[in-house]
Amino acid sequence: MVAASSENGSVPLSLEGLSVAYGERPAVQQLSLTVRPGEIYGLLGSNGAGKTSTIKAIVGLLRPVAGEIRVFGLDALRQGLEVKARIGYVPETSMLYEALTPREFLEFVASVRRMDAMIATRRMHSYAEAFRLEAELEEPIATLSNGTRQKVLIIAALLHAPPLLVLDEPLNSLDPRSVRIMKDVLLRYVASGGRGVLFSTHTMEVAEQLCQRVGILDRGVLRGEGTLAALRERVAAGDASLEEIFLRLTEEDVGVRAAVDSLGDPSI
Amino acid sequence: MSWREAIRLSNVAFIELSLQAVYAFRQGNVLPPGRSKNLVARSRRLVLQSKVVISAVLALLTLGAVAILHEKALNPEILASVPAGLFQSAVLTGLLSLDIALLWWTGVQVVPTLISSGVLPVLEPLPIDPRTFRRVASILYLRLFDLPALTILILTPLAVGAALGPLAGLAALPGALVAVLYALALALLTGRFFLRRVQGSRGGGGRAVVRWVYLVLWLVPAFAMFAFITAAPAFFQALGALAAQGPSLSSALLVAAFPFSFAALPAIVAGGTASIAILSPTVDLVLGVAVAFYVALAVWSVVWLAGSVRTLLFLPVRTPAHLPTASTTLRPTGRARAVLVKDLRIASRTPGFAFLILLPILDAGALGLLTYATPAQNPAAASLALGAVTTAALLATFFGPAFFAIEVVAYSYGRSLPLSNQSTILGKVALISLMYLVAATLIVGFTLLRFFQPFTFVAFVLAELPAVLGAAFFELGLLFRWARRRGLAITNLYAGAWFALVVSIPGLIMAGLPPLLFDLTRSRGTDLGLGIMALVAVAELALAAPVAFGRGAS
Repeated sequence: MVAASSENGSVPLSLEGLSVAYGERPAVQQLSLTVRPGEIYGLLGSNGAGKTSTIKAIVGLLRPVAGEIRVFGLDALRQGLEVKARIGYVPETSMLYEALTPREFLEFVASVRRMDAMIATRRMHSYAEAFRLEAELEEPIATLSNGTRQKVLIIAALLHAPPLLVLDEPLNSLDPRSVRIMKDVLLRYVASGGRGVLFSTHTMEVAEQLCQRVGILDRGVLRGEGTLAALRERVAAGDASLEEIFLRLTEEDVGVRAAVDSLGDPSI
Repeated sequence: MSWREAIRLSNVAFIELSLQAVYAFRQGNVLPPGRSKNLVARSRRLVLQSKVVISAVLALLTLGAVAILHEKALNPEILASVPAGLFQSAVLTGLLSLDIALLWWTGVQVVPTLISSGVLPVLEPLPIDPRTFRRVASILYLRLFDLPALTILILTPLAVGAALGPLAGLAALPGALVAVLYALALALLTGRFFLRRVQGSRGGGGRAVVRWVYLVLWLVPAFAMFAFITAAPAFFQALGALAAQGPSLSSALLVAAFPFSFAALPAIVAGGTASIAILSPTVDLVLGVAVAFYVALAVWSVVWLAGSVRTLLFLPVRTPAHLPTASTTLRPTGRARAVLVKDLRIASRTPGFAFLILLPILDAGALGLLTYATPAQNPAAASLALGAVTTAALLATFFGPAFFAIEVVAYSYGRSLPLSNQSTILGKVALISLMYLVAATLIVGFTLLRFFQPFTFVAFVLAELPAVLGAAFFELGLLFRWARRRGLAITNLYAGAWFALVVSIPGLIMAGLPPLLFDLTRSRGTDLGLGIMALVAVAELALAAPVAFGRGAS
């Protein structure tokens, strides 16, 4: 049943038994999840939970030790280039060619993605104007702030209007205005039908506002998955916030209290 | 805090610097698969290996100079007119010049890595007093050059001592020390220049040209080495003429020039002032003043270095004033061409890459001009021009590792794009061929003006082209396979000189074999030589292409 749905060409992303490891150290274990059409799926987890490793495996940066990754029915391990053509990726850190300007970088991305010049230029200007990046388009990336670099990466991910967006902590370093724009862009993006977004974050408020469903990852294992309401039901907490649900599912709620208590008075 | 504390902190910072130099995580590289435990130890070993390789080159240069000092009859016709002391001074001048050039060139390669690694800004928020901080920065900078600098400082006096006597060896030490200090200061000065004028410059056609002009500066050390070796016979001839003249204004200017002033000291200690033949009380005075001036300049360099290293490591890249960008458009191209354009743009703003790209072109220009020093009908002129094409082809083989290193920058982002290794390699090989053809066209242009045998030259250039392509495919194919298996980033000279060397040697052989066969067979007819050359070059291309495009390459 799962295999049949994962091979369905309309499902933006499905992971089946995905395991990623760095040498002997496992980072992700037997992870299975699906991003449905028209859905923003939030991948939540503490630092080191395996969110970035999962995302890197999806976009082809890490080779999983086991499992299957399918993007619109395509096998990411065997049809890597076709899969990459359907993904827009924003990495956790701004890994850019620092010697290039944003325009040159976007031109390179547009070339690799075989875009039409007029469409690429129009989209670049639309997003650059929205993110107030027009003045920096011809500055070397090395001179830009972290937030501005993040905007460049976001534009690069959106430039070819991919059917699947894979975003690793995309709102980090952005100013409140840009965060708001990005949220609206994502909501409109999935509303246009058929598209999907995998969104990793450890900011619970953002996940609550944006995501239709969330998956809670803890030490490489998926502890819970579903809508906010379903997760509330699962932990038997009627009006709990996502943060409380997260702490309960990762069994960190007691641990957090104990950790704070053990700190005592910070002035001592 | 004490020097001890500064050394302890710099040890920690140097580990991070080694890691960043090899794996370039801050530049966007990803953790290599399956080797995460040994990363630090491995990066330290690779940096050490690279220092050993550079030190070995410096040691070879020193031993070569000593061998020349021993072998006074290198070229009896020329050297007969050059007095022994003057000859020794000239050889030591060459050695010290090469030492400075190589050490400076090393600095040009590694200083941008030191800055981009961001090791010192990490320490900045800690409660470390400014003096200790300055010491940490200075130690860190010195450690980039430690083994190569020690090789110069120890081996030069020992080698000169073995050739000219222990006292002469001791007299060589000031020259070696001043040479090292100047090289370190030059590396820092050019590093600062790079940050202020090159990295921070804007995009756009006109500005790109300005940036390329700036970057010619980075070629000076490498080109100085080449020019010195090429011009050595002419230099000795000029010295012979100078010695025949006796003490004069020219000889005063010569002893005042660095590093001749210091190179003359061991010769004077070994054979007295008479052995140099161009000295007189006035010229002696000039020599004394020059030595004192250069020593004072070296002391000032030490003070300047100590004060400037810290500012360099924290220097923000200059942000130019915003200009209107209403006409900004994107012009997407094919994938391989996009890689070519991207590499050219990055190389034009990165000294380590730019000098490699420009070297064959400048070499072609210089050697092409040299053909004018020989009469047009002289076969030596034709050989020189063909040699220039061969040199351009051989130099092009260094592009493989260099362009692979560009790919490591933002590697993880690049790998998330739908871009196959084959497209990337094709783009890079196209750029390598372009550089070779530009250099070769320059030489053919010179020869056409002189009317040697233009058709032979064009045929020679075209016959060699498959060999250049083959060498590039082989090197890049091998490097991409390596990177896939080992996750190794070759970002600069200190990241893995050994790996670059290992792939460059077969590349050099591939590019060098067809011209060698042409040289061996052309006595039986130029057409036959060219035919054999083309045949071998095509065979090499056929053998090398599967390395880049065959199974396991992508």
